[in-house]
Amino acid sequence: MPIKSYRKYISLLAFIAPAFIFYTLFLLIPTIGGMYYSFTDWNGLNPNYSFNGLANFIEALREDPDFVNSLLFTLKYVLFMVVLQNVLALLLAVFIESKTRTKGFFRTIFFMPNMISTIISAFMWTFVFSQVLPQIAEKTVMKFLDQLWIGDPKYSFYSIIIVSLWNGVGYMMIIYLAALQGVPQSLKEAAHIDGATPFQAFRNVTMPMITHAITICFFLTLNGAFKVYEVVYGLTGGGPGRSTQVITMNIYEEAFSNNFRYGYASAKSVILFIIILIFTFIQIRVMKKKEVEA
Amino acid sequence: MRQKKVTDLFITLFLCVGAIISFFPIYLAVINSVKTQGEMFSSFIALPTKLHFENYSQAFDKINLLNSTLNSAIVSVIGIGGIVFCAALAGYKLSRTSGRLSNMIFFLFIASMLVPFHSIMIPLTRMAKNLHVSGSTYGLAIIYIGLGVNMAIFLYHGFVKSIPRELEEAARIDGCGEFQTFFRIIFPLLLPITVTIAILDFLWIWNDFLLPLLMLTDSTKYTLILSTNTLFGEYNKEWSLILAALVLTALPVIVIYAFFQKFIMQGIAEGAIKG
Repeated sequence: MPIKSYRKYISLLAFIAPAFIFYTLFLLIPTIGGMYYSFTDWNGLNPNYSFNGLANFIEALREDPDFVNSLLFTLKYVLFMVVLQNVLALLLAVFIESKTRTKGFFRTIFFMPNMISTIISAFMWTFVFSQVLPQIAEKTVMKFLDQLWIGDPKYSFYSIIIVSLWNGVGYMMIIYLAALQGVPQSLKEAAHIDGATPFQAFRNVTMPMITHAITICFFLTLNGAFKVYEVVYGLTGGGPGRSTQVITMNIYEEAFSNNFRYGYASAKSVILFIIILIFTFIQIRVMKKKEVEA
Repeated sequence: MRQKKVTDLFITLFLCVGAIISFFPIYLAVINSVKTQGEMFSSFIALPTKLHFENYSQAFDKINLLNSTLNSAIVSVIGIGGIVFCAALAGYKLSRTSGRLSNMIFFLFIASMLVPFHSIMIPLTRMAKNLHVSGSTYGLAIIYIGLGVNMAIFLYHGFVKSIPRELEEAARIDGCGEFQTFFRIIFPLLLPITVTIAILDFLWIWNDFLLPLLMLTDSTKYTLILSTNTLFGEYNKEWSLILAALVLTALPVIVIYAFFQKFIMQGIAEGAIKG
């Protein structure tokens, strides 16, 4: 090896070392470790454990109705969130953008909930759902507000969606707003002069210009929704029963609160990881195609 | 023309209703936190007749406000400082070095951004125990460096491309060493993206719940979020106390939001669009 390239390596490693040490200890090794444990029957305490091949994975998907239910519940949540969060955020962004005078005010108001920690948001809404709404129903004509928003599985899913949207929409709205700023005014005017309705102009002029932002926001919402934990923890705790248990909660419970089955819980988390990868991969592929066409 | 008026009215209405929903829970938390329990239950929506700050002094003690805030601040500052320092060095060098090794390392960092926290939390708790960093404020901060460095490297890597190489070359000719060149010439130029990274990481670390929950057992080490969570579990019927605690917990972030709103929004938009 010539001396020059040898020095290049040394300098590269010197610059990377600090980041790489922390990253390896707390992210790389745990990631590999999680995959490794997922093939074992380790219980977290006993130093002796043995490999059991795919037994954990088979058990999770075949003999663990709680896990499968939490997976299905999470998928339903993801579907609702990806659609609603993006539609709502884009609508808000377009509406806010269209009113020049009040732009700053509305942007501030809609983004504010995002500043509040998710868990604190869930506690705030617990108060709204359990105390305030029933009282409003009692005192006004809006009787429909008197429901068991948290205690009844029929409604608790929607409560979780409402709080997630309240807390998360602002973030996506900011990204869409930034993208909308990049659409030249002259193009919109040209569309208007050519007799396009506002909706047509949006569909054919604005949309193609912001596909990149749409791709990013879909990626972020999809990823975030699969990892949902705090909203559910703060609002329903997964209850009533296990009716609103999400996959991350199921993993946490398996590992830390009742059984300490580290190996089995690791297998579940690998399943979650694979599902996220598959969905993300499909989403990026489909949307990148669209971006090119646009 | 009439069509335009109707659309306009609809948009205004939509935004106003949305704004009310957006603000409603915050409003409720604030006004009910200064009422007595009795006054609160007679009407949640009415403004308080008299300001009662007893709830606040109680919540202040119960969540150990000063201590918890200090813990959160220590974790955030060390975490962000560490992330910025490590990621700026690595992101810069990876961006300036071509070759297979450099690409591989960069890819490794980026690929790990897709790993959900729940997939690593079990081995991570083990690792933290083995290294004796669990249960301490500084240990928690160091773990955040490990978890946050990948996204920061990604952002730095992209940003460095826009800085002309001539600057470094000139500095080298003038006799600066590599690290000196970096700290004197490059790092100051990275300021815009450093601000973005600091903001995104602050929002993440300050508001994070699960990692502190796994790592901290001693309540004197609790972050603000963790203290409030404990209070909520213990006093789940005493709403006026809980609301006061929630307002106190949300307050620091809201104050920061009021001051740095522009930067925060810019930071979020930039962090996303660069991705």
